[in-house]
Amino acid sequence: MQRREFLKSGLMGSAVFAVSGLTAMTPKTAHAATVNINMTAEGTFKTLVDGTSVYVWQFNQSNGSGPGTLTSGLVVNEGDTVNVTVTNNLDRAINFVVPGITGTTPSVSPGSNRTYSFTASSAGSYFYTDTVNGEIGKAMGLTGPLVVNASGNRLYSGGPSFDRQYTLALNELDDRLNSAIYNGQSYDMANYEPNYFFVNGMSYPDTSNDADTVVAMNTGEDVAIRFINTGCITNPQHFHGYHVNIASRNRTPETSMGEKDTVLVNLDECVDVILPVIQPGVYPLHTHYVPGVTANGTYANGALIIMSAA
Amino acid sequence: MFKALQKPVYMMGMGGRRGGGGGGGGGGTTPPSGGRTFSYISSPTSVSAQMNGSTTMANGSTISTWYFSNGGGFNGDRTVPSPVIEANQGETVQVTLSSMMEHTIHFHGLDVDQQNDGVPTTSFAVGGMGNPNSYTYTFLAPHAGTYHYHCHVDTVLHYEMGMYGTVIIRPPNGSTTEAWAGGPAFNKEYVWQFHTFDSSWHSGGGGMGGGGMGGSSGPNTTRHSPNYFMINGRDGNNLNSDSTVAISAGAGQKVLVRGVHSGYQPAMVKMGGLVFDVIASDGRPLPSAISATEWLMAPGERYDLLVTMPSSGQRTATVDYYDIRLGRVLGTASTTITVT
Repeated sequence: MQRREFLKSGLMGSAVFAVSGLTAMTPKTAHAATVNINMTAEGTFKTLVDGTSVYVWQFNQSNGSGPGTLTSGLVVNEGDTVNVTVTNNLDRAINFVVPGITGTTPSVSPGSNRTYSFTASSAGSYFYTDTVNGEIGKAMGLTGPLVVNASGNRLYSGGPSFDRQYTLALNELDDRLNSAIYNGQSYDMANYEPNYFFVNGMSYPDTSNDADTVVAMNTGEDVAIRFINTGCITNPQHFHGYHVNIASRNRTPETSMGEKDTVLVNLDECVDVILPVIQPGVYPLHTHYVPGVTANGTYANGALIIMSAA
Repeated sequence: MFKALQKPVYMMGMGGRRGGGGGGGGGGTTPPSGGRTFSYISSPTSVSAQMNGSTTMANGSTISTWYFSNGGGFNGDRTVPSPVIEANQGETVQVTLSSMMEHTIHFHGLDVDQQNDGVPTTSFAVGGMGNPNSYTYTFLAPHAGTYHYHCHVDTVLHYEMGMYGTVIIRPPNGSTTEAWAGGPAFNKEYVWQFHTFDSSWHSGGGGMGGGGMGGSSGPNTTRHSPNYFMINGRDGNNLNSDSTVAISAGAGQKVLVRGVHSGYQPAMVKMGGLVFDVIASDGRPLPSAISATEWLMAPGERYDLLVTMPSSGQRTATVDYYDIRLGRVLGTASTTITVT
């Protein structure tokens, strides 16, 4: 469905990953559903914004995908039971962990599959990843966003309301790590210094052509933005044009800050913000670790997205 | 109805970095007055973009810099940071930029409109082929507080080279002893701008700095490995004798430190064990002041810290710059806190 039609239809308020195929309607009752997901953990080649091809790991979801070019992503309703069956096509054991919901989970061996089940009891933003391989799984791309919607257009029950919401999954890669993994060598994360940076799997300018990643909005609205750090660095996100209210950090309501124009999304952190759209116009939203707006040193090819307010 | 998205037009600055000087400067900065420990310029004002600057580090090395000038930089005595710009809450702020080469000013945190946002792909650049050689950035300033300004052309390099400064919006009456109307009062005021240099990005001493004309690709800006750790463009032992950094005030006096993170590495600020109050951030008061002995600031953030001077003695304040994974301290800038 074209972006414009989707927005007019009024579904935008509760649906994230609008164009990528997996949508969630505003829950009307407390009736929890069971959601069954199939994912394959696999290695593949990702073409970067400068044309370089890099070996990455990903969760490839057969029934749905994530925002932007992410090959997996989950949107469920509070109270849902979620069963994720992971088929491991990598060369080593991995697992499926949702920090904040599951604890450590058992691993799945290469060539096997395992079903990971959990209940999404609390609304909020989460991510899933592999922890068997330390941070290597996360750094190689074996991650994805998980959004648990509350009923009504609120970030959580009794929490701030919004007119529309966006999910921005943040990550990056150090191609020396990817190369080492591809060549069967070891890699020390202490040396991790990324040189490519992504929002929803893409670098600017590709981010400005993606309907999940352009924050389209109307003056006068309140827009929720879910920053989900699925990467391995601190990520200070700076808004041009606007200040935002931090609603929560890792599902804990934030009460100590006033409005911010620069929001630190820390390691393994999900930060939900509400943006009051005080003026029209086109503005960037980007990391203020400005090397994060480069691709291997070339500026304006990184974690920068466009906000567009009518 | 949504405005049609502007198809981003990547400006000619891609990949190629140019040297070259800017236009003339303005009338110079106003010396420190009131409780200020820094000189400043007041809106309406003008700055020019300069690319032929340098600064001397504590170890004697000279680092090439680019900067905004009003006839002098920060405190009128150094190229980096650029001058502090002041205006009063409620007024229309006007800052004219003159430049021969492509530069802009992004007024970070001032929520200016698209036309005045200083982002070339959504508006325009000043200087260079086809662009105006000057532009007056114009915007309302509805919230007293601490803000930031910097070039937004090839930002990763221009920002590193020194094209950044602080904006202070005073209460509506222009008070220099009150953080905002009805807000905390203070006797003395410092601006602390946090920044590190990776000298390899500055391609050696004075002159053109990063790259020459035409097809040169400029310095490798793939990774930022800082080797100089600064406050207000000074480092090492120079920090102890710098009147814009070293805190000195009478026993019991209130000192406001406006922390402006204009660098690339997270910075942990400590005031030698003194408890301070974090009263505002990003130009907005906190719901309640937070008492702390250390505070982490991320690139782009501002935090206003209110320090109450103890009864006597001298302490050492430190700014630890961490790697971007918060794993280890890469370098520290330290200065003194002295009760006079």
